[in-house]
Amino acid sequence: MPQDMPPVGGYDPVQYKRNLPARGFRPAVYLFGTAAIMAFGFYKVGKGIREHNELAREKMWARIYLIPALQAEEDRDQVRRYLADRAREKELLGTETRVYNSDRFVRPTFAVTPEHVTK
Amino acid sequence: MSARQPRFNQHALYDTTPLPDSIPKVEELGASSAPLLSAAYFIGARCKDYNDDYMMCKTEANGRGEFDCMKEGRKVTRCASSVIKDLNEHCLTEFRTHWQCLENHNQQLWNCRSEERRLNKCVFDKLKLEKKIPDTPKGETPVHLRGKQIFSTH
Repeated sequence: MPQDMPPVGGYDPVQYKRNLPARGFRPAVYLFGTAAIMAFGFYKVGKGIREHNELAREKMWARIYLIPALQAEEDRDQVRRYLADRAREKELLGTETRVYNSDRFVRPTFAVTPEHVTK
Repeated sequence: MSARQPRFNQHALYDTTPLPDSIPKVEELGASSAPLLSAAYFIGARCKDYNDDYMMCKTEANGRGEFDCMKEGRKVTRCASSVIKDLNEHCLTEFRTHWQCLENHNQQLWNCRSEERRLNKCVFDKLKLEKKIPDTPKGETPVHLRGKQIFSTH
């Protein structure tokens, strides 16, 4: 009995690959495209940060130029209250007590308030 | 019970006693924050010497600056109020539109550039005071002169 033999010319190749069309661009295009978008974005962010720094500088210097005027007004008010306190104490108690053992100006923590609100 | 009546301390802290006559009087600035911010650079331009003098006096007064630097403080206040007065005399409309814009835009200078440009031009023409931001990097347009503000909302 003759043996079963392959067909003449061999078998057809077995189709194990999927036969799908490749969609879209080449991978490199996506890679460089993303890089380009990111680079542009970082460029804009950098611009924004630089401008932000300059704006902060502008704001800071506006404040710096104002500080002496504001501080002078505040100091004058503090001295006025201090001298008024001293005068009141002199009038009521007849003494001028030195609270601190130094002649520096100390912003008062406590204030003597009148018993009845007069104003 | 002999408890004292509780009293809020902020309630009766009015003290209207004026300064004694031995200290010269000076009128306070009396401007609120937006006009002050609007005028800050012009105050800085005209009063730089007085300001520096006052701050140096305070630094060197060893904690007694409040008493010892009152003279310098009066000069600072007089100079600043002279700037405000001149602005009010010469550039009132520009000044007013600018600080009202600042009021309406959260006191953000970059949101009021067109108003600021008009104010700066008027002040430079009439008072010869120029807005200059110190320490700006060299070779860059100062931020208040740039045509387009990245962060402005209108």
